[in-house]
Amino acid sequence: MVDSLTHFSEAQARLVTPIVEGRGLTRTFPMPSGPVTALREVSIDVSPGEYVAITGPSGCGKSTLLHLLGCVDAPTSGSLLFEGHDVSRLSESARSRIRLTRIGFIFQRFFLLPMLDAWENVELPQAEIGVGSQDRRQRTRELLEYVGLGDRAHHRPSQLSGGEMQRVAIARALANRPALLLADEPTGELDEDTGGQIADLFDRVHADGTAIIVVTHNQLLAGRAKRHLAMKRGTVESAAPVMTS
Amino acid sequence: MTSRALAWRTMTAERARGGLAIAGVAVIGALLFDMLLLSHGLLVSYRALLESAGYDVRVVATDNVIVRMPIPNATAIAGAIERLPEIREVAILRRARAAVLASGRSLQDVTLLSISAGAERHAWRIVAGSNPGPDEQAIEPPPLVVNRKLAEAASLSPGSIVRVRVALAAASALPAVPFRVVGIGDFLFDTADDLTASTSVGGFVRAKAAGSGDEAEVLLVASRPEFGPAAAAAAIQRLRPDLRAYSNEQLVAQINENGFAYFRQISFVLSSITLGFAFLLVATLLTVSVNQQLGQVAALRALGIPRRRIAATLLWESALLVGVGGLLSIPLGWALASVLDRILRDMPGISERVHFFVFEPATAAVHLGLLAATGLAAAAYPVWIATRLPIAATLRLETL
Repeated sequence: MVDSLTHFSEAQARLVTPIVEGRGLTRTFPMPSGPVTALREVSIDVSPGEYVAITGPSGCGKSTLLHLLGCVDAPTSGSLLFEGHDVSRLSESARSRIRLTRIGFIFQRFFLLPMLDAWENVELPQAEIGVGSQDRRQRTRELLEYVGLGDRAHHRPSQLSGGEMQRVAIARALANRPALLLADEPTGELDEDTGGQIADLFDRVHADGTAIIVVTHNQLLAGRAKRHLAMKRGTVESAAPVMTS
Repeated sequence: MTSRALAWRTMTAERARGGLAIAGVAVIGALLFDMLLLSHGLLVSYRALLESAGYDVRVVATDNVIVRMPIPNATAIAGAIERLPEIREVAILRRARAAVLASGRSLQDVTLLSISAGAERHAWRIVAGSNPGPDEQAIEPPPLVVNRKLAEAASLSPGSIVRVRVALAAASALPAVPFRVVGIGDFLFDTADDLTASTSVGGFVRAKAAGSGDEAEVLLVASRPEFGPAAAAAAIQRLRPDLRAYSNEQLVAQINENGFAYFRQISFVLSSITLGFAFLLVATLLTVSVNQQLGQVAALRALGIPRRRIAATLLWESALLVGVGGLLSIPLGWALASVLDRILRDMPGISERVHFFVFEPATAAVHLGLLAATGLAAAAYPVWIATRLPIAATLRLETL
């Protein structure tokens, strides 16, 4: 029953316009010893509400693909549409605006601003798009409670554990209600139990309707996704829905 | 949170770095402030000294106001000048080298002055005794006002009788003439080592005996306010093309071009060097700071924080470091200037009323403006690094 419901919602999701559509994405990096192709002819669609895990060995192009999908890097060849807009035709400021308003990023090393407390880190992206102070306060309070850190709002990153920092980073990524949440090894710096808590939190975010693409080596986290892309040597070797029991 | 607030939080979060940067800017800024004060201080002080004498035009015999030739027939020329409509008052200043014989001692290299009656009110300030009264001109021996240095050296006090011999050449054959000390005063243009005495016109003529003629070293002229010094100087020049009339402004400009050019050049070179140090200090600190935060900057960019916001935050950080350091540099620089001024004023030949460092609000404004420009320029490279960094490559590197 659970599986059928899940697959039904996935199928429904695919009927609407994908958030991101990559066609023949190739990314080559110039190196002193000659160009290195990190990504070869990868095509991918991610629809609203989807939860996709990308796995594979180190250096297989997972993060490169994530960066392309998150509009922080440009493909050497191929095309990328974000909500129907050709990203290659957008200016840097327009791509920046997409990242600010439609995409949330979570990093392995959290990258919270150390001089700001948890509350201020979560407020920062909202202030950037001009959310009023009252709405900002309300949203920040909701988000910190959502990630279970309502009582740690005024702690700085140095006063938080790794798991708590990652939860603040998730709250920050969700601050502007993104359509797509991108996570690059979000449990890479965390122990197994804490990684499990982050996986639970991702489940909750997904259940609330946000599409997620997570790059991970963590099988527990990858197992929570509804679609799994296995990558090897810059290509997607298999793409399949995850069958949960 | 505004860029300024974010910059302030960055600065205060790393207190040691911020404190050292501010201290560095304050010290460098203090040196810059002193160099700027030095570049104008002498001129400002010299102008104030000229104006405090109460005359705004000076008439001399040659183009050179430093090496002066005597003006012959000074009384007649002064009378003719005084009759010009632009002129309110003319005073004749005569000067001679003399020796003072008192208490069994002979003091050489004394400057003997004579200034027109009434003009002494600007030339010195009596600290003991009194100025010669109008009826004292006829009393024998002639009156003499001496400066403190001479009074101390020759143990003089009001009422003392001294003998003065004017030196026309190295070995003067003129007789020593007795004078009566009536007052001790601080002379406006004295240096710390000057031995100075002033007497009446009659006394001066008697001391110089037959060799004097009616010569003056300089004619001090006060213009009428409705004409002003420039018009007065021009009128005198028309009247006596063989003489040179300079307003105080012209004198200051001439000395700026000649006598003080040395200080101006030193000041310019040292100001440039201190600005260079300030630039390097701030640029290095900000560049190191940005390089330490590349991951955070790339993450912020990945989150969509625009380049302009990151640039503005760095510019604010630079402005805060330079601004706080710059404000601290003004009292620090002024304290340093006071010490340097005392040292420089001990040099021989410097009037005690002349200062090398004179505070002017405009100089402080220029100083802060230069520091602000330096701060902005110093932020340029770190801003370029932070706004142009490749987001994906930086995130990859910072995660390794």
